[in-house]
Order: sequence, then structure tokens, then C-alpha cells
Amino acid sequence: MKIYVSGLYSGGNPQPGVGITRSLRQGYPDATLVGVEYSNRSSGIHWPQLDEVWLQRPWDELNLSAHGDAIRALLDGGALWISGSDLESMWLASVFPEGHANLLTPNAAALARITKPQVEAHEGLPVQIPPYIPTDRSDWDLHAFCRKHDWRVWLKGPYYDAVRTRSWDSFEAVRNALAKVWNTERLFLQSHVTGYEESVMLCAYEGELLGCVRMRKREITEEGKTWAGDVSEVDEAFLTPLRRIIHELNWTGGGELEMVRDADGKLWLLEMNPRFPAWVHGATIAGVNLPALLVEGATGVAAQRPEPGRGEFTRVVVEVPVRSEFPLPPLPEHLGGGAGHSLKHPSGLPALAERLHKLNVLDGGDNESSSGGDAPTVPNTMVEDLLAQDFNRIETPAWVFMESTAVDTFKRAAAMAHTLSTNQTRVTNAYSIKTNPDARLIKLALDSGFMAEGISLLELHKALKVGFRPDQLILNGPGKWWPEGMIPKEQIHAVFCDSAPDLKKTVAALKSGELKAKIVGVRIRTPHIPSRFGIALDTPETFKSLVESIATLPEDTGFGVHFHMASSNIGVKAWWRLFDSMLRWCQSLERLTGRTIEVLDIGGGWFPDDWHNVDHSDFAKAVKRAQAALPNVGQIISEPGKAMAQPTMALAMRVLETQEEDGEITEAVVDASIAELPMYFHYPHRVLTQDRGGDWKTLKRGKSQLMGRLCMEHDVVAANIELPEGTRAGDVLVFCDAGGYDRSMSYVFGRG
Amino acid sequence: MYLAEVETRAVQATEVPEVTSCTAKWDSWPASTISHHGQACCEIAREWMLANDFSQLGDAAALTGPRWLPKKYPWGPSPWPMHWCEAVGRKKLDCGAHQAISQELFTARGVQSRPAQFVQQFSEDATRHWGHKWGEDQVPAGWIDGDVIYHEGCAVTVDGDEVKLWDASAGWWIDPQQSGGYGALLNVRIFDPSAEAPQSLSWGGRQLAVNRWNAV
Repeated sequence: MKIYVSGLYSGGNPQPGVGITRSLRQGYPDATLVGVEYSNRSSGIHWPQLDEVWLQRPWDELNLSAHGDAIRALLDGGALWISGSDLESMWLASVFPEGHANLLTPNAAALARITKPQVEAHEGLPVQIPPYIPTDRSDWDLHAFCRKHDWRVWLKGPYYDAVRTRSWDSFEAVRNALAKVWNTERLFLQSHVTGYEESVMLCAYEGELLGCVRMRKREITEEGKTWAGDVSEVDEAFLTPLRRIIHELNWTGGGELEMVRDADGKLWLLEMNPRFPAWVHGATIAGVNLPALLVEGATGVAAQRPEPGRGEFTRVVVEVPVRSEFPLPPLPEHLGGGAGHSLKHPSGLPALAERLHKLNVLDGGDNESSSGGDAPTVPNTMVEDLLAQDFNRIETPAWVFMESTAVDTFKRAAAMAHTLSTNQTRVTNAYSIKTNPDARLIKLALDSGFMAEGISLLELHKALKVGFRPDQLILNGPGKWWPEGMIPKEQIHAVFCDSAPDLKKTVAALKSGELKAKIVGVRIRTPHIPSRFGIALDTPETFKSLVESIATLPEDTGFGVHFHMASSNIGVKAWWRLFDSMLRWCQSLERLTGRTIEVLDIGGGWFPDDWHNVDHSDFAKAVKRAQAALPNVGQIISEPGKAMAQPTMALAMRVLETQEEDGEITEAVVDASIAELPMYFHYPHRVLTQDRGGDWKTLKRGKSQLMGRLCMEHDVVAANIELPEGTRAGDVLVFCDAGGYDRSMSYVFGRG
Repeated sequence: MYLAEVETRAVQATEVPEVTSCTAKWDSWPASTISHHGQACCEIAREWMLANDFSQLGDAAALTGPRWLPKKYPWGPSPWPMHWCEAVGRKKLDCGAHQAISQELFTARGVQSRPAQFVQQFSEDATRHWGHKWGEDQVPAGWIDGDVIYHEGCAVTVDGDEVKLWDASAGWWIDPQQSGGYGALLNVRIFDPSAEAPQSLSWGGRQLAVNRWNAV
């Protein structure tokens, strides 16, 4: 019996070939085992239990047709083939569309039905698929997905690779890298599931499930790979549908379902691999030799049964002699002074992916109909605002005040506050002046029934100048008393203290009469979330100190609590969790201090769509929870932060120059820069341009870079945009969603 | 498993196993509890523990073990009796304190939890080291007996009579699939003062009688 085993890479993210070999040797001591590899850098070729090594040239060089013919000859001659590589299995399925009795890999139809992330074939198993979104959607939608899932998301490649992306700039960097490696834009983002990882490994021949085991990871590497595990039988509730699915798929070969079990015991399916996993021999050690069982099922030749094991296995690092016929190759020279020599994919699997795209075996690559995904949509008011401008008369770069969008935004927020208010608790909006101190927006806030929140005395004075009354002002932040001597003489609505010394200073100012405020409160920083603001509650000592300090507040002022965290950074669900956490701490403060909380000031950094374009039931429920937890709260001050300002301004710019390659614009220089779009790295902006007919169109993702006017390497205002054909110098581009911190934090640079 | 020759390995004990003699030393030991001075000092400390647990839990399921507790207060010698205001100020807490506090945390989350006592196998080397450590802090080490130790944790109700055992010092759930050796659980006693008649709880297919030692 001669068995060919591929996938011998044995680095930190190993393939299963060595494990399959060890198991086959245990089951068939006399079989001839031939290791197949496509790189002499794969250390598994030196595994001493291999009788022969069939080393092929790397995938980028290999003559696929000749290689396919050679494998057919081997199989026709009676040899068996077990693949340890997903891509090789996919290629083999195309070479042998009708299968081959000795080819122990799944057929093409079965492979199509286990494509991740949806894994169609999973129906009937007691598992769920974590939420995901393909990356051919617009950047606007992808950013929304990340916010919705609290930035606990993984960007995954179509065949291999998964990278946690915790911010927009890291997402963009990883997307570019994975798309380049795998020659496809068909990646996907998937929500993280917290839990313990476990797998079901199986083997089947022509649709008959021959055996399967469950393995729980007990030690994992930093990359999340199994280092130790325990093996047990698969329970009937899983086994019955699995047997049916394997039959329906007419599965042949090894396979693995990778899952996470959450704290409630629910199983989440991450992927189904068309091969044995790298830990395959761990199961053999535990007494279940699936590679041997597969060979037995295919040939009818009985395998030696493994000794029953303890059900647990672990890995160790083992050095083995190098085969004399395959001496170690030299290390390649460092590229441009770079560090390290990556051993990832030494056999050139990305090259195989690219070739399979060209052969239409896999979707993607040059076969992709469009790489730009969907174009994002914009509200009608934004288009109306742009149509109202005469860009021929506007000197760029220029901020465009989107008046009807701004009016609509404030109107919606006012209506929402009105709807959420109850007889017991009034909900009041507050405009955060720092998000955009433009007087037109401050006035709009005033006219829409907002209060004004400032982080400095200068900001309060600006609000007063626009028309706010002192009793409509809220003072906040760590540097709120700057500049000296500007504390309003009249009573303001509320002051929230950011630290223990700030609280002490505020109490002194109240007692001396320098400060008059209806409400005095504290900003609290709940544990577990990194922030520089507010009074930390993460140690019992600071909590005790806070409790004692609150007791020093004058009895004739009301007491309030302020809680502020940017939901766009931490995610929407995480923000609501923090809200509940804050309520829990408020209950403790009321209980321990005897002071009732009359005002809650909550908010921070909402992405506009998460505030304005959602069902408001979450907010209504939050008001009810606040009322239940703190029955004396008469006012909830809601600070949507940048959700108010961001949509209200756009940045218009002109193309200065275009550069083309093969008839496509690859780069364009514009007269704006990151000095006007400092938030470019943090979230996508919707970009519009006017077509020759005068209509404004949003641009899709594409292959052009928009470079700013600055002589700064990182001044790239759009890294991947599809410029319309015929774009030329002088054309106007408008970056929407620039009215928040883009506007207020923009700086003067490169203007002489 | 080989489908044609599955051997059931799970322990399907329907009878309560015999108790081994190694529990005798700790038969009279009650499960640990934290005392309260009845004043603000302890009330603030207890509130901090409960509110902090709420924050640490986030959106995780209520059955998620409070691993933050031994992370903040690593396992180590602790003098007894212990009050809440003393517990929060300590650098280290022993398993009794971890158990007693975790008990309160689970209860505050609305999860039923009972104090549990364990006897675990280690080695003479390990227990000698611990003995020295406790000695240096002048804390009695009556929890050590040769190569076995007395330990405390929580029996947390999952569903009905089914429980999971939380090792509040290690920050993990004890695996019901025990096969002996270093760290193995030898005996467990779950306290339930409210149990009127003899009652048993299910742990990974085993039946554990409450208020008495069970061999694992």
C-alpha cells in the first residue's frame, strides 16, 4: 500500500501532513508513506516516518497540467492521496471532477457548499454562524458593521488568514494586505465570539461517515492554534445531522468543523475545513485514528487499532535530522534592510490561489466583476445642499455648510428628545461645542431646544454670545476653568468634575460664591475601559474617596453624574453596556452617600447613523432603566457629540493632477489634505462628484489613490477610490461627513 | 470515536461514591464567609466588589466566571476572620476569600451558587512550597496534608440540579472529566443549608450529594 500525504508545513501554523503520516504509520506499519511538498523549506519533509518524499516545484512554477497527469497516474496505479491543504484539495477537485476511488479528498460540489463564512452545508447541525459581512460592501457599511459589533471583529481571507481589526485604520491596512496576498477582494468581516474553542474532526468515504471525534482546545498558541487538547466522542445531537450532511455531500476525505462554545453552551461554527486538522495525531494518541480509518474505508484493508489513550494530548517541539537528499536551502537575503525571513506559505499557496482564480476554479482575482463594492448612499438633503452650491465660484479647499442637512439633523434630535421625555424625566439635548464651534450650528442648537456644553470658559462665552442663557450652560472636562477669571457671574445649569482635586476646587468655588451652579456632579470612569477622563472607580480606594468627597458637596445644590464615552470607538453595544454599568455605580453612590442623583448627563461620540437612523427603542428602554435604577432623576441630558456636527459640513476640493497607468487613473493629487481631514484615518467619508449631466454621485471603492497637497508621506485622503473615467485637473470632489472633528480639529499647514 | 465500536467513557455514576479517608481532617471545616463590621467601611467595600463585577462582566453571560477577582487579588495567604473592608485592601486572598466573594458576586448576578469544598491531589514538592509560603506570612497551613490540599470554590447552578464547579482562585471551571494525577479533584462537598432532605446535584454526569463529601 502506497499513500501520498501532502501539506507537510510544520511551522507555527502547521499543516496536518506530519500528523497524518504519524497516524498512518501507527495504523499501517508496513505501508509506504510518501510525503508530498512544494517547497524544500517545509520542515515536514524531514519527518523520519516518511519513506519517500515527492518534492515538487512551488505552486507559482509548477506545471499544473503535468502535475495533475502525474497524480492521475499514481492513483490509477493504486496509490492513495490524502491532501493536507485546502487549496490543493480545491485544485484536485477540478482535476478530478468525477472523483477517483483513490483520491481521498472532497468533491467540488461539496467544497462549494462549505465555503466560508456561510458554510451552507451546516443546516441541521446544532450550531450558529457568527454575524458577518462580505467586504464587497461599501466602506460606509463595513464601518457600521464594526461599530455594531463593538470592533470585536475579524477580517478573514477566503482560504486562510484571520486578523483581528480593532480600528478603521487597522482594518484598511489588513484588507489591503490580505487582498494582495490572496489576489481577491472577496474577504469578509466576522463578529468575534467569546468562548472556548472546540472542533469536530471527521473522515468519510463516498458519503459514509466513518468516524469523528470532538476536541476541546486546552492550550493555544498566540495565533490561536491548538497546542494541547482533550478528545471525546461526538454526542448524538451533533452526530445524527452530521452523518446526514456528509451523506448529502458525498464527502470523501478528512474534515474539520471549527467552533466556539460560548458561556451559555451555544456552539458557533467558524469554518469547515476540507481536510484533517493539524492536531489529527492527537486524536490517534487518544485512541481514535481517523486517517487509518479513512484508508480502511477506502481499501477494505484493516488497520491496526490504536491503544486506548487518556483522551488528552499535547505538543512539544522536536528537532529531527535533515534528510541528506534535501539539504537546508540558504536563507534569502534581506529585502531592503528588512528584518526576518517569513516562512509563511513557503510552497507559494497564494500563487496557487492566483492561478486557480485564472482557471476559474475559484471565484475572485481578475474574474471579479467589480472590486469597488456598493456605492454608499447619502441622504437627499446632502444632495440638495450640494446642488445649492455654485462650485465654479468656490475657491477650494472649502468647507461647505450643508444647511438643510444640519436643520434636519437638529430637528430629528429635538423630536427624539421630546419623544423620550416622560412626566417623571425630561430628556434634554446638549450641543457639544468642541465638535464644531461654528456659530451657525450653535445657533441651530439654541433654536432646537438644546443646552450648550463647553469644555472651557471660552466655549461657554461663545455660547452666551450666540444667545444661550447662563442657565442653559453645562461645564465639563479636565480643563474647564481655563482661562482664569471668566466664570459666568450668573448661575449656570451644571458643572461636572473630572477628578478628585477638581471636585475639591469646585466645592471651594461654590462655597466662596465664585461659582453658581444648579447642579454639581462628577464624571465617572467605569472600570474596564481605558480612558483618561473622569474619576476612576477601578480601585476600592478611589471609590471610597469619591464617596467621602460627595459628602462635602453643599446641600443646596443638586447632584448629578456625567458619563461620556465615544460609542464610535468602542461600539454601540459596548456603549449601552457602559451605560448600564454607570447606572449600577450610580445606585451604589446614592446608597452610600445618601445624595440622590437628579441629573444624568450621558453621551459621547456617536456616529451619526447610530444616533439618527436607528429605531429609538434602545434609547427609550435606557430612559426606563435609568428611571428604575435612579427614581429621583428628573433630567437626562443627552449629548450626541459628533452625531450632530459631522453630517453638517463637507469639504470641497479640486483635482490638481492625475496620473494614469494602462489607461486607468492610479493617482490623483488634490488641493485639500489631511490638514482639513484629520479624521480620515478613523472613519470612511462618503465622496461625491458631479457628473457631466450635473448629478451628484457617490464614488465607489477603487484602485486610485487621492493624495493631498502636503509634502507629507501620510497625506493620502483616500487610499482606494474609483474616480470616474475622464476625471481631470479642476474637477471638484466633495468629502461629506466632515463637519465634526475634521472641521474643529483641522489645522493650518502648508499655506505659507 | 469509531462509530461501530463506541465505548462510553463518561462516568455515568448513579450512586453516590464512597468518601475517602483524606477528607477526615477537614470534616468539621465550614465554608468560608466574609464578615461585615455593620458600618460604612464594609458597606463601601462590598458595594465596590459588586458594582465592579457588574462592570467587568459587560455583555458576557451571567454564568461567566469572575476571573477578574483572582487577577486583581492573586491567591495567597490570608489571615482569618476577614471583613469586607480588610478583603478589598489585601494584596492577595486565599481560596476561602475568593470563594466567599465569588459566592456574593454570582448571587448578585441572579445566579444560584453554593459554597463548595474540594480536596485536591498535588505533590509533596508543591505542598512543601506552599507550607513555607504560608509560614512566612505566619498564617496557619492546616489546609495542607501531605500531598493533598483542602481548597474552596463555588458550585454554580447551570440548570435545575445541574451545577458547574468554579475554582475561584484559579479562575477556571473544574473539568468533570477527572483522571487523577497532579491537580486532580479527589473529593468535593457542596454546602446547601436550605436542603431539608438528602439532595444531590448533577455535575458533568456525576451525582454529588449535598452537605457531605463525595469522592470523585
